[in-house]
Amino acid sequence: MPVDKNQIVEKEKVVVDGIELTAEWNRMFEQRVVADYDDSVLDRITSIAGAESLGWCYQCGQCVPVCPVDTVGGEYGPRKVYRKVQQGIDLLTDPDLWKCTTCANCLRVCPKAVNMIEIMPAVREEAVMEGEGVPEELQEAFENTFEYGNPLGESQRKRADWVKETGAEVPILKEIKKPVDVLWFVECYPAYHARGKEASAALAHIMNTLGVDYGILGTEEKCSCDSQRLAGETGLFEEFAEENIKTFGKYKFNKILVTDPHALNALRKEYPKYGGEYEVVHYTTFLAPLMKKLEFKNKLDYKVTFHDPCYLGRHNGEFEAPRQCIEALPGVELIEMWRCKANSYCCGGGGGGMWLDGFMADHVQERLSENRVKEAIETGADVLAVCCPYEVSRFEDAVKSTGNEGKLLVKDIAELIREAMG
Amino acid sequence: MANQKILIIGGGPGGLEVARGIAELGYEAVLVEKRDRLGGTPDEASYAALTPDLRPAEEALNEMIEPVVNHPNVEIMYNTLVHDAEGELGNFRVKALQLGKEVEIEAAAVIVCTGFTHFDPGRETQKYGYYEHDDVITLVDCEKMLKAGNFVRPSNGEKPKRVCFIQCVGSRDRQIGNEYCSKVCCGIASKQAIEIRQHVPDCKVYIFYIDMRMYGYWENEIYWPAQEKYKVNYIKGIATEILKKGDRLLVKGEDTTLRRPMEVPMDMVILSVGMEPSGGTKEMAKIFGLNQNKYGFIETTGGPLDTVSTNVPGVFAVGACTGPADLEDTVSMAGLAAMKAISAMRKLAPVSA
Repeated sequence: MPVDKNQIVEKEKVVVDGIELTAEWNRMFEQRVVADYDDSVLDRITSIAGAESLGWCYQCGQCVPVCPVDTVGGEYGPRKVYRKVQQGIDLLTDPDLWKCTTCANCLRVCPKAVNMIEIMPAVREEAVMEGEGVPEELQEAFENTFEYGNPLGESQRKRADWVKETGAEVPILKEIKKPVDVLWFVECYPAYHARGKEASAALAHIMNTLGVDYGILGTEEKCSCDSQRLAGETGLFEEFAEENIKTFGKYKFNKILVTDPHALNALRKEYPKYGGEYEVVHYTTFLAPLMKKLEFKNKLDYKVTFHDPCYLGRHNGEFEAPRQCIEALPGVELIEMWRCKANSYCCGGGGGGMWLDGFMADHVQERLSENRVKEAIETGADVLAVCCPYEVSRFEDAVKSTGNEGKLLVKDIAELIREAMG
Repeated sequence: MANQKILIIGGGPGGLEVARGIAELGYEAVLVEKRDRLGGTPDEASYAALTPDLRPAEEALNEMIEPVVNHPNVEIMYNTLVHDAEGELGNFRVKALQLGKEVEIEAAAVIVCTGFTHFDPGRETQKYGYYEHDDVITLVDCEKMLKAGNFVRPSNGEKPKRVCFIQCVGSRDRQIGNEYCSKVCCGIASKQAIEIRQHVPDCKVYIFYIDMRMYGYWENEIYWPAQEKYKVNYIKGIATEILKKGDRLLVKGEDTTLRRPMEVPMDMVILSVGMEPSGGTKEMAKIFGLNQNKYGFIETTGGPLDTVSTNVPGVFAVGACTGPADLEDTVSMAGLAAMKAISAMRKLAPVSA
């Protein structure tokens, strides 16, 4: 009897009468014998511009143990994706298409340079264009971005409201009408998310104390859209890039400072393709050499562990600046997690993962953020320091969901500095 | 005065390169070949293109033959079979039959270049049905078809749509008695897979393997292009048996990375047969008293540091008569053997400078 593909239920965990069936039993739901290799699917996928390198995999398997999705039981990893596609399973309609967070840990170890950072956006773009199988929550983030200029669906008019709300003193370029040294590209989560706003206010205070000559775009700023691009919305990315580049063109500045590593990635690596070439720095890179100019009134007495954001570390090579910022704080002891720097684990938010939590819950045994929080707790740290605006909320949720409330605080590095300044 | 000639047995790539080397160094060589032409196995078995550079075999062989046949220092004896030998370094007396006529050759040193034979997939077991199914062929059969520019299913003369290679046939097999890896088959299968994709672009090609052994530059010169450019499918796990189903072949095995059995239909199956010592190699070992390993190949005595000397002083062995060897190995060994034979000879009869 032919197996109806729609009838196959693939779950990582199946519980029947209170007994958990292992993956081995679970596989019995699949057709057992490989009856064919339909390589037309591999041909089709690898003919998509950007996805060619999927066809290069020689199955060494080095990617799988460093894939954060496989680590949490996602039965995933580039090697496995290649095998599935080689077998004739269409990646365009398979859930695997949406599992990758583009964290780049696989590319780091891949001897054949199979580049999921290019493959995933390229294939996802096809899926988005064909309207096939795009998870609803991701679709919603795309639509919010399109309609409101940010994935949270907040009003564009309120993009600078955090300034008033937090009482921070932040110059807005449209109002100050003068050239600045630093244009601060705040980005969506630092502008709209409750925890993001707190970190933004802290950063504003630090910059003011240091006497940095800066300004923000306020309501003129739009999402950098890097994660939307990586999740397959290239069209949206291009449109927003062009708008932001136009806005940058209205002002005189020497460099752009970003709060968000995803914005760093977009502005540094993608915007030049659209004519926008700037010196772009992450705020930790900017602050690290200035830390000695700050006066600290408070001794923090924290054991701090630091989570390297994928898009700051692996993607853009900055591993030291955040650590220098942390180590400059009085009383702080920095403890490293065992997966750190180049081999850092992923919070799950990149590449569209920020808007796929519901979808991912069906495909993994625990969230990536939960896996990471457990690691942080194992180090004995009191504080998990972050410097990517996706991470504060993700890790705070994970602290709660893993039953570790009260054991670990999640703080942005800007907040830690602000706290030490008093 | 001692004899100053060097006898070369076998006119394949190894023997040709030895002859050229000796002649160009100003010494005399007698090249004995059992067939009526030079070129050895690549010529006899109609190789189409060489591995790894896909250069036409005929063109490359001619390039090796031409300087030898035209060199005054080389005497070539065609249709000649060595059947007896006596003497020692500096003074070998070798008896041979040339077209039924007894001849005697005197030589200071002997270099055996008698090569290998392709494993016969029907010799030990009929696991893959080589003599049963028309569409099950070997690398050797495939090479002939490629050379003729006519790659079709033997059963019906039609162009195949799906072809697979099964690796390690006759190699790495304790039951067959050939425990060694034949070294070249991964490269040759991949090379042929590329050629099939060039000849019949809509034919899908699969290679079922245990490990891909693409050492050195073969990795990036054959394996990677085969997969990346020519879209050859490499699947880990070799087939166990081949069944006839309708007018196709059903290849049964295990897809080991999927951990699932596979039963995949194919139009043609190509068995990647390995190397065994040729009849001539075994015969020469006997005649000259050369040690053979358990597989029948001539044993060289120097380990990795001397790949051509044998237990008999003055007798050297080159290429696939010593074990699986590719062209690179064979040609490199040829140069070494020429040098060692000449220096052994010179030690006996020092040449005044």
